[in-house]
Amino acid sequence: MSPRVVRTRVEFEGEINDELSIIDGRDLPAWRGALDVVGARTPRVDGVARVTGRARYTQDVVLPGMLHARFLRSPYARARVLKVDASRALAIPGVHDVIHRTNAPKAAFRGEETIFRDEVRFAGDEVAAVAAVSDEALRDALRALVVEYEVLPHVADLEEALRDDAPRLEEKGNVSDSGKQDRGDVRKALAQCEHVLEATYRTSTQLHNCLESHSAVAHWDGDRLTVWESTQHVFGVREGLRAALRLPLSRIRVLCEHMGGGFGSKGGVGKYTIAASILAMRTGRPVRFVLDREEENLAAGNRSATLQKVRIGLRRGRIHAILHSSWSNAGQGRWVADPTGPTNSLYDLPDLKTRSYRVVTNAGSLSAFRAPGYVEGTFALESAIEELADRAGIDPLQLRLRHLAKKDPLSGYAYSDKRLRECYEIGAREIGWKARKRGGAPGSTPDRRRGIGMASQIWGGGGGPPAYATVHLNPDGTVVARCGSQDIGTGTRTVLAQICAQELGVDVDAVRVELGDTDSPYGPTSAGSLTVASVGPAMRAAAADARAQLLGTAAGILEVTAKELRVERGHIVSKGTRTPIKEIFDQLQNYTVIGKGSRFPNPERIAIKTFGAQFAQVEVDLGTGEIFVEHIVAVHDIGRVVNPLTAASQVQGGIVQALGFALTEERVVDRGTGRVLNADLEAYKVPTVRDVPRITVRFLDTPDRRANSTGAKGLGEPPMIPTAAAVANAVANATGVPMRATPMTPARVLAALGAR
Amino acid sequence: MPSRTTYRGPGPAALSLHVNGQPLEAVVPPHRTLLDLLRDTAGLTGTKKVCDEGTCGACTVIVDGRAVYSCMTLAHTCEGKSIETIESLSASGELHPVQRAFIDEDALQCGFCTPGQVMSVVALLRAKPRPTEDDVRRAVSGNLCRCGSYTGIVAAGVAATRRAPGRTAPKGDTER
Amino acid sequence: MKPFALARPATLAEARRLAREATPLAGGTDLLGLMKAGVAAPPRLVDLTGVGALRGLRRERGRGLRIGALVRLAELEEAKDAPQVLREAASLAATPQLRATGTVGGNLLQRNRCWYFRDEAFPCWLKGGARCFARHGENRYHSILGVEACVAAAPSDLAPALIALDARAALVGPRASRTVAVADLYQAPREGVRDEHTLRPAEIVTEVRVPEASLARRGVYLKQMERKTWAFALVSVAAAARVHGGQVTDVRLVLGGAAPLPWRAREAERVAEGTALDERVAAAAGEAAVAGAQPLEHNAYKIVLARELVRRALLRLVT
Repeated sequence: MSPRVVRTRVEFEGEINDELSIIDGRDLPAWRGALDVVGARTPRVDGVARVTGRARYTQDVVLPGMLHARFLRSPYARARVLKVDASRALAIPGVHDVIHRTNAPKAAFRGEETIFRDEVRFAGDEVAAVAAVSDEALRDALRALVVEYEVLPHVADLEEALRDDAPRLEEKGNVSDSGKQDRGDVRKALAQCEHVLEATYRTSTQLHNCLESHSAVAHWDGDRLTVWESTQHVFGVREGLRAALRLPLSRIRVLCEHMGGGFGSKGGVGKYTIAASILAMRTGRPVRFVLDREEENLAAGNRSATLQKVRIGLRRGRIHAILHSSWSNAGQGRWVADPTGPTNSLYDLPDLKTRSYRVVTNAGSLSAFRAPGYVEGTFALESAIEELADRAGIDPLQLRLRHLAKKDPLSGYAYSDKRLRECYEIGAREIGWKARKRGGAPGSTPDRRRGIGMASQIWGGGGGPPAYATVHLNPDGTVVARCGSQDIGTGTRTVLAQICAQELGVDVDAVRVELGDTDSPYGPTSAGSLTVASVGPAMRAAAADARAQLLGTAAGILEVTAKELRVERGHIVSKGTRTPIKEIFDQLQNYTVIGKGSRFPNPERIAIKTFGAQFAQVEVDLGTGEIFVEHIVAVHDIGRVVNPLTAASQVQGGIVQALGFALTEERVVDRGTGRVLNADLEAYKVPTVRDVPRITVRFLDTPDRRANSTGAKGLGEPPMIPTAAAVANAVANATGVPMRATPMTPARVLAALGAR
Repeated sequence: MPSRTTYRGPGPAALSLHVNGQPLEAVVPPHRTLLDLLRDTAGLTGTKKVCDEGTCGACTVIVDGRAVYSCMTLAHTCEGKSIETIESLSASGELHPVQRAFIDEDALQCGFCTPGQVMSVVALLRAKPRPTEDDVRRAVSGNLCRCGSYTGIVAAGVAATRRAPGRTAPKGDTER
Repeated sequence: MKPFALARPATLAEARRLAREATPLAGGTDLLGLMKAGVAAPPRLVDLTGVGALRGLRRERGRGLRIGALVRLAELEEAKDAPQVLREAASLAATPQLRATGTVGGNLLQRNRCWYFRDEAFPCWLKGGARCFARHGENRYHSILGVEACVAAAPSDLAPALIALDARAALVGPRASRTVAVADLYQAPREGVRDEHTLRPAEIVTEVRVPEASLARRGVYLKQMERKTWAFALVSVAAAARVHGGQVTDVRLVLGGAAPLPWRAREAERVAEGTALDERVAAAAGEAAVAGAQPLEHNAYKIVLARELVRRALLRLVT
């Protein structure tokens, strides 16, 4: 069958789009029956490389003659760059090049023509880039650059930017519409309610703080540009470089063998990538461009702070209406991670009105951050529901069950599979939900109260085309499986090895998975919880193709029909005889079996979602406002679990990051100057080992056979979504006081308790 | 007259120390950190640079038996000292039991903090060969893991000593 | 970091000579941070870690506990001879790696953590600038007590504990030596005095001594952080007292993180002194500790914390 074009519906980061894509061959039916490799606890295939320090990350790439590069960044939150004088910097020994507004070539970047704007729009915005032989020369050069600025009025704070007297940053003002949903008549419905809760929620800006900062090494050999980049999407970086540098794709290669965390912030080309490439092409030397920790926290993305207003009403024991409006601090970003997504799609709610607004400010742009919007929105929605239920004397879990959606409220489509009810049941049992009392329980000391709370999770994770893979079977029975995806720490390499081994009939150890290279078949971005559900089926199809070719070959040599043969743990099995694959090939000239596979479209008129529920038990010290999270129970419904070992790690990790969002993490910006005051890992506090409670992870592990041929859906983001709400609800249960702002620091908890 | 101490630097100055059991002679300025010496001069890139200001733990190495942050240590103050990095643990080709345990317990995700975490646990096990969970938590309380693999790290720290040292890596499991 | 010259003397005499023109470097966990941030740029450093005379922790009969300035926090934390309050304070500071590097002298002399002070871009008053940016800026981590020209808070964990033990520090200068109460190493920066410490030029702390009498005190160190470990104190308190026949005497209450210097809560001490500490007295002492507090825009919660920690620390002394 030849390649053909199909239309398919794909959900990415809360947005659903119809897309065209090319597929080849025939899709496989979903796996049935017991599998032995897929589903087995499988240690990471790249574990040895990572624990020995041999794994080479971008910052470890060293090339002969390599230069180092850094940006000069604006000290002002908003200013016009009048003049850049690089003459003194260029005179410093070891300094090779300086590029800036007037001498840099045009390079398209996110809708603009250049990476150096005439007007810098946040403290940390890029003004110039320097390439030099050493860090010392670089730092001296940065100090020697003379820039004339005309400082302009700025506003960096979300709520200040909403005020009428705030500096107007864009022609149409600072606020723009960014999403709406209407069902029924909310005003009328609210008027009919017996209980109405009106609450304002605030979430703070969360910084990704991937331990490996954004970084690129560019090498120009006069003909081809090779870029090593710490990225979630090598093909996205290649496309960004193509657009910026106007090189044909054949002359750009992007590599990412290992990378030290992305969490959404490494979705494509960065200004540093483009600058590294330009500098490499201008100087003729390789250029390494690694952001330092401060730059990482100024200019490499963040989760928007939000202001959310919720009005939610109860009538006859049911949620009768909900009004949810949200304002997000997008910084200089051009989109919004919509916090109203969960409100629109989680429950069966007849009367609903949601509004989402983008607020532009003089702060670093948002970028996707692990379940963008949904973490913030779920905090507001699930806090409001639990508070409303408690006010009305209804068990909050029962209230949620009354609104369990039987079909997708947005599209009206049936779900491919949905087991949220079972998630609730398992989680409630594990945490001891029955013992929950309104007003909480005594804690372990006289100063403390104990409480439990919960929250639900909805997210996409169904994946879709395009994604392609090849499987090369070597004459010795080993396998090289290739896909232009990347392993950002999620275990992609391991999971793909399992899928390949399962389908092909070899041991996982025999499969080497090559990722992170644009010279491979296309792989999608490692984001949106889509990798396993997108690349997995493509890999399976490629392995099936390779297996079919192998069996055809073996049939000829063994003089039987292919139908009588199967592959099992690296052997061709026929009527009780087992022949190692190597022995089959020994009888041939050198020959490589190449299997190809593509991801087929998602089923028509079916909603593919992941669901889950988390439950939290906490103690709160009423004297100090300190929260002690004791136990989190996480139950997630993600279809088939390909690797229970790495899947559990992802859930743990999502919860830990969410605990940071809930309890400690908050970017602080000086209002007077717009400078970030804690662009570091000291005052910006990510969780330590001591901040991690007991975490119970449960999967339903039921293949979603309608979703794709592996029955597996995504897991990267779901575990991060409900944690903060569950913890806030547990704190509210313990103290009797709602917690409506994150992070819930001692200061905020004491303030809430004091306002009782 | 007592002997007069002389200054090194501010330019490059000679320095000798031991890294992973081998003598290392270098000529670097006094402001060079041990981290940069290891990564840039000695080419030992297993030790990672994350914050470069003593706030993350990724650059943890062992100096004369103590786990320290190499980014907050000047190379020249290590004159004559013995430095151990992640590369020393599997120099024989066999994984250290702590490394094995990290793999088995899936105590890592992106792996960027892993060399530092492993060195902190190795230092702990030398002082206390049979640590409790709390001992391990304490030992890695100065090592951030942004992927949140802490539960696995604690499990690996406790499990490491239960393993026979020197178990080799499974075949085909080396450079992926 | 700006390049500098480094000297590594082996004797105190040499160190003393070099310190006339070079900045002392011990563990470096604070100084290197300031240098990397561009806030400090000394042209010369004198590495004290080779000076054996600055090491060692030992009980000396009749002369209390001698702690060399170069004793590392990790050693102090493990030292069976050291009072509990001091060991607790050491163990709650920073991380194992930083405690393996950082020294007692360095911990006492570390600069404050104000984010305006530590950002090269803010010409704050303490750095010789015209104004304090924190006073009307982001000041959640700043002082509620004893503020003069600078609102930064004293960051040391050891200082409150040592002050609660009436410890004294020995200093050597180019010409003279002296001893001072640890408490007297600190001052609130004020007009004409842009420094949190009282050291004279070229002075080096050589040792800290806990007097014999204090070793009989019970003590406790409580530290409230924003995460469970590895954070500077929002507020901390060191409490120490002789507990005898149901009565407490020689009560010392010293707050960290609450004032520009480690803050003796003398009113609170007076409330508790000579009493049989009970809930009522402890609560009254907590109130007394914050009676003069003046919160800034974002740090009123520190008043609640200080009051509560003083109350709890006192009760811990007698339970």
